[in-house]
Amino acid sequence: MHDKKFLKAGWLALVLLLALVASWEWYWRSKGFPVAFNDDNALWAKKRSEVYASPASSTVFIGSSRIKFDLDIPTWEAVTGEKAVQLAMVGTSPRPLLQDLANDEKFKGKLIVDVTEPLFFMRNTARSEKSAREGINYYKKQTPSQRASGVLDRQLESRLVFLEENAFGLNSLLNYMQIPNRQGVFSFPVFPREFEMMTGERQAFMTDKFLHDTALQHWQTRNWTILGALDKTPAIKGDSLIAVFKELKTAIDKITARGGKVMFVRTPSSGGYIETENAVFPKQDYWDAMLTYTQTDGIHFTDHPETAHFVCPEWSHLATPDVLIYTKEFIKELNQKGWFSKPVTVK
Amino acid sequence: MLFNSYTFIAFFIVMLILHNMPFPWKVKKVNLLIASYIFYAAWNPPFILLLWLSTVVDFFVGRALYTQPNKHKRNLLLVLSLIGNLGMLCFFKYGGFLLENFVTLVNAIGVDFHPAKPNIILPAGISFYTFTTLCYTVDMYKRKSKPVQSMLDFALFVTFFPHLVAGPIVRPPQLVPQFETPRKANQQQMLQGLFLLSMGLFMKVVLADSMLSSSADTVFGFPGKLQTIDAWLGVLAFSGQIFFDFAGYSICAIGAAMCLGFVLPQNFRYPYAAIGFSDFWRRWHITLSAWLRDYLYIPLGGNRKGELRTYVNLMITMLLGGLWHGANWTFVVWGALHGSYLCIERLFRPKKAPTNIAPELVPSVEPVPVVTVSASFAPPFFRSKGAQNFILALLTFFLVNVTWVFFRSPDFTTAWRLLTSMFSRAGNGAPILPTIDMIKVSVVIVLMIVTHWFMRNTTVLEVAQKTKWWIVGIVWTAMLLLLILSQASSSSFIYFQF
Repeated sequence: MHDKKFLKAGWLALVLLLALVASWEWYWRSKGFPVAFNDDNALWAKKRSEVYASPASSTVFIGSSRIKFDLDIPTWEAVTGEKAVQLAMVGTSPRPLLQDLANDEKFKGKLIVDVTEPLFFMRNTARSEKSAREGINYYKKQTPSQRASGVLDRQLESRLVFLEENAFGLNSLLNYMQIPNRQGVFSFPVFPREFEMMTGERQAFMTDKFLHDTALQHWQTRNWTILGALDKTPAIKGDSLIAVFKELKTAIDKITARGGKVMFVRTPSSGGYIETENAVFPKQDYWDAMLTYTQTDGIHFTDHPETAHFVCPEWSHLATPDVLIYTKEFIKELNQKGWFSKPVTVK
Repeated sequence: MLFNSYTFIAFFIVMLILHNMPFPWKVKKVNLLIASYIFYAAWNPPFILLLWLSTVVDFFVGRALYTQPNKHKRNLLLVLSLIGNLGMLCFFKYGGFLLENFVTLVNAIGVDFHPAKPNIILPAGISFYTFTTLCYTVDMYKRKSKPVQSMLDFALFVTFFPHLVAGPIVRPPQLVPQFETPRKANQQQMLQGLFLLSMGLFMKVVLADSMLSSSADTVFGFPGKLQTIDAWLGVLAFSGQIFFDFAGYSICAIGAAMCLGFVLPQNFRYPYAAIGFSDFWRRWHITLSAWLRDYLYIPLGGNRKGELRTYVNLMITMLLGGLWHGANWTFVVWGALHGSYLCIERLFRPKKAPTNIAPELVPSVEPVPVVTVSASFAPPFFRSKGAQNFILALLTFFLVNVTWVFFRSPDFTTAWRLLTSMFSRAGNGAPILPTIDMIKVSVVIVLMIVTHWFMRNTTVLEVAQKTKWWIVGIVWTAMLLLLILSQASSSSFIYFQF
């Protein structure tokens, strides 16, 4: 009697579970969501382990979210013949990542550093660098079990839409209710699900729905406004800024002394974002001064007519069609600066 | 390796297949042993050597302790075993802490000494497997049971993967005899084991990690004063988190062992329904409190050396029990609070005839009788024994929450900040918890307390046996579905750090 009870319960649970999970998967696919990967430390660590490839065959990218969206990895790899190792982290300053690579004697490759000024020069580094430090720590202390779990996890994520945690996880579903908070309570604004999905190569992209729905785009620009309004402290200047430049130069010199190459890039922004960035971080005082101090080359999107015109749907990241154009123009600029071991032809 | 990981799922499926193949029993035991070493090595391979060392040394020392006729030599062997086991634990777990306090002390008396901070990795589960092997050597010294004849059985006793890194702490007579005869799970055991594994993972991943941990982290990580409600919800979130995390692990361990045909002891028995602290320690981390009773409290004299000595022994036991949890004075204070509560409770307990049993730390399946005070001015509901017991349980839960502040806080400054926020009437603290988090914590904690109260004298499997099969099936489905939806990035069990 008892045997049958648990047996019947077990079968019922299995059948119900499979039916519900299949329905859940079908539901999100029918809404137009593609398979996407979680932007977790395990995937970042996997990419981090790929930085040691020959400089002739790969370029490493670090930065915040913009380079994740704006660099089209398939285009890059098809045109340049080189692998793109994407280590950029959303909402994070890449300075700890630069330090990590500089201090890694085995890294002698090519590195492109994308600069998003509000994060790159943020005064509150505890906040701006938190994810980067956690990622580096995870990479260094990753256990064999975590590595194996990451492999299995990616196999499942490559087949199931609903495993994208930020969009469809339990807490995400609850947060989507957007229950008002008490006055004075800050909680991170809810991003539209359609805004950011990620491939297994860590390239971020907007869904078609986001690109065609201005309400979603306005939702996200409101989020940037909320987040941008948080840090009211003035931008770092004077000695503090020089200290940052000095830190960058020290790191870059370590890499170049080993035969590596470093280049800065400023990917496009528009609307309210570019207005704020130009006002708080004037180009000549930050970007130009940084290049001069560190004696490092850089590609700023406003310096080239082919890339100066882009309009970002939510002020900060390029839409998919523009991503392909930007990537090709970016490759052309790098090619002119002798970045690649063999000249590249961009069609 | 974590139970809440894809690696463990793959590992466990392979283990189940191998264990149910028609291999000789010895081959199956070797499989289990190798699997247990793989389970441990998946965290950090070199530390397998430490486990081997502990196993080999204690196997031979244990046998020598049992067979050695000379009392002085037996005492020497016991001391060597204690030094070896506790020395290893002290070095890895308390090395940095001892050095830090030594430096503070010498600096305070004017000696300028600033050594480099040692970078000592804490081996996973060292507190647990050290206590497991200590059980054996002390039992051999007392000749409580016969030595384990087979090194294979002994090694399996120490390293059996379900209990290896976070308990339950098993005694040799509880587990070794199970290795002596071939066993595998029958259909009922397999299904019940899988049910418990599902439940344990649900408690850890859904309740502890997804629903509660972020609120606890937010509150304990906030550098300023908090509003009273935020402080209390954060502490309640942690009290729920640590229960679901640790009890979840224990249930996973019991379920995994059951799927292989083995029985591990129960480790939690609805502790937040405890009425008084004696009852609490009969329900919380039962195997640890039994270990402390048998290997610390009773050897110190227990309650056999007079009232004052009993209180001293209780305090020593609880202080060391606190320190076992971590190398920080906050854990010692946590232990001291529990010790104080136990002492106060003993002081006001109705006097009985002297007994050799230590009631404070005795795991018991009998309901604890509570002396109730009739209050004629109270409404009829509150005059019932059940209602009075429930109120006493809530009072116990309230006092336990105060102790959790010290357990969770990284330092006394944080603990003080939390406590002043919890008990402040000034109302000038900051509100920090989002409304959704407040709702999650409130719902989960209320349901937890209600569940504990109604389940306090039974077990999940007993309730499942009495419930319609389709209800069990739906509950099982719900747990697994929420587990899949939660998919919280594999975070460690809290007790792994002990």
